[in-house]
Amino acid sequence: MQRGWPLLGPLRWFRYVNKKVKVKARKDEEVRGWLFTVDPVSASMVLVDFRENGGVLVQVVMGHAVEEVQVLQEADRRTADHLQTMFLPPRTCILEP
Amino acid sequence: TSLSTSAASAADADELQSEQQARSLLREGFLRCLLSAANKKVQFHMYEKVKVEATFGACDIDVLNFQVSDLHTPIGVQKEALIRSQDVISFNFDI
Repeated sequence: MQRGWPLLGPLRWFRYVNKKVKVKARKDEEVRGWLFTVDPVSASMVLVDFRENGGVLVQVVMGHAVEEVQVLQEADRRTADHLQTMFLPPRTCILEP
Repeated sequence: TSLSTSAASAADADELQSEQQARSLLREGFLRCLLSAANKKVQFHMYEKVKVEATFGACDIDVLNFQVSDLHTPIGVQKEALIRSQDVISFNFDI
């Protein structure tokens, strides 16, 4: 993928989800992480980086600044599951009648 | 020819539907990410190597502006501010 990231459209953005990517954004910014989602309105990429101390860094790259996207790695099942449940609200408790 | 036209439009409808499905899944994820950013310390990377910190509030539906509080600028702390997304390259936060 070179120029034109914002023009790719949902189906092609979707193919990058759950992959580890390297994103070049405007001149000297380079961001790496697992692609969680792409906002279909602004083409902004949400990248997640798991840190060694157990913390999670979320990086959002604005669609207009994306210059190059390179796929580094596919997620295994565990990473993919972990990614997709990361932002879900904590389980709601069921109230007894 | 009417047959091929209708077959083509059926294929188009299928593609449109899967595109819409992808679009809604992607958008839902983005909105959940914004929700988790609310009230967190966020660092914005902007043009000309400007990095500023603020507490994330919200953004508008077409992601044109970010509403933030306690924006730490080089000339002081702005209690409430709107940041134009066009001026932002990326932003990050910890969860």
